[in-house]
Amino acid sequence: MSAPILPAEFADLVPFIDWALATEQERTSKRLASGMEDIQAFYDCMSARVEAAVEYLNALPLDALPPEAERLFQLSLSLMEVANAVEMFQNPAVINGFDVRRFAPVEDV
Amino acid sequence: MRTVIADKRWAEKYPDIGTGPVSAEPLISPEHFELEREKIFRRTWLNIGRVEEIPNPGDYIAKDLTMCRASVLLIRGRDGEVRGFHNVCSHRGNKLVWDEKGTCKGTLTCGFHAWAYNTTGKLTWVPDEENFFDLPKCDLGLSPIHTEVFEGFIFIHLAERPPERLREYLGGVADQLEGGGFSQLALTGRYKVDERANWKIALDAQNELYHLPFQHRRTIPKFCVLKDGQFTRLLDVRLFNHHSVYSSDPPDDRVGPATEKLAAQYSVAETEHRLPRIGSFDFYTIFPNMALLLFSGVSHDFYMTYNFWPQAVDRTDWDIKLYFRPAENAGQRVGQEYFKCLLRDLLQEDATAHEQIHIGLASRAKKELYLQDEEMQIRYFHTVLERFYAEA
Repeated sequence: MSAPILPAEFADLVPFIDWALATEQERTSKRLASGMEDIQAFYDCMSARVEAAVEYLNALPLDALPPEAERLFQLSLSLMEVANAVEMFQNPAVINGFDVRRFAPVEDV
Repeated sequence: MRTVIADKRWAEKYPDIGTGPVSAEPLISPEHFELEREKIFRRTWLNIGRVEEIPNPGDYIAKDLTMCRASVLLIRGRDGEVRGFHNVCSHRGNKLVWDEKGTCKGTLTCGFHAWAYNTTGKLTWVPDEENFFDLPKCDLGLSPIHTEVFEGFIFIHLAERPPERLREYLGGVADQLEGGGFSQLALTGRYKVDERANWKIALDAQNELYHLPFQHRRTIPKFCVLKDGQFTRLLDVRLFNHHSVYSSDPPDDRVGPATEKLAAQYSVAETEHRLPRIGSFDFYTIFPNMALLLFSGVSHDFYMTYNFWPQAVDRTDWDIKLYFRPAENAGQRVGQEYFKCLLRDLLQEDATAHEQIHIGLASRAKKELYLQDEEMQIRYFHTVLERFYAEA
């Protein structure tokens, strides 16, 4: 049997697996490249599951998550990334926002 | 309508700072920019980073300070000491270290002719040394820069003889922040913003909360106590030496978005950690180009720093750093991600505005800026600038 993409009890999140991204830059790019409909769909589904996800993840060591748990963690981080798009801007990008190429996250902190 | 000063809390507290309009000229003029180069950035203590960025012997950071026409090397010696040097080889003046951050095994070697220095700046190796003419090797170490540390924040001073030690320079800021436990928090997020705006336009725009209900109406309209539900009212403003701090408390009726509530809940840790805050949010301006922001969290506080590095009269590198308590579990890390993204998105709103303000002021359509009482700390910053411009 092949390794699961996500922990078995979170199989309902598999359709959103594209949001499992390792870096902030990747998560921001995904947010900016997505339409509001897709962002809203991910937000609605993930908001309803994030409490269970955090409870599941908190039982594991943060610096040694198995791959399927790591993806669940990344989905939770992506929810934090898109929350403002839904709750504040109703738009993928910040309204009156800045060119993100000139507002660059430094990933190696 | 005549102004009653007694109704203006900060003008009443600091009557010497005045109430008149402030000149816009220093924000856009190349002449002031040149004055700042000589009279401010070479005469004040400048924050470069924190000790945690170079935790081990041989670790270094290098920073080009365009404004000072200097490149600075901070390195932790084998003796554990943090030292600052001009990042310049003693042979032909090549820049010694080219990357911004790194570590060495006891030796830094120039890429040009392989002259080598140890972690205390001493010249230790010159290839083909015998073919030079009475080379005074002992005197050819790296040129030192005055470097001091306060609560883990590393500052440098480029003058040959700084007029005062860092502790004295910081004055009341140091009194307030001493023993603050900053080293218990770790750098969790960092952004480098390349702005087409004067560094003081950027700093001034961050140095008040009056704009929050308006410019940040979509992100954090309710962050500070509001008069009539609309206008910010700071908890305190304090002016010290060249610096200032303003503080605020949140309004009683603040309701954050759904995800913020979750993030706050996930962030809770079992052990509390507090920074030496005045209000629930404090914003320090540490002259000339640093800001230190302290935030309250549910169980532990976090902080941010801004360093505004002038590149040209109309260009600034805004270096934004966020420091959180190291996450013990995934939930805390997820909570931190929310607050990081929130701050990033609302600072994007600010960065955009900095550039628009620069365009507006550069037209010289407006020669003066009218500041209200809640903008006292900006007025003070300009008073300090004028003091430095006027120095011999």
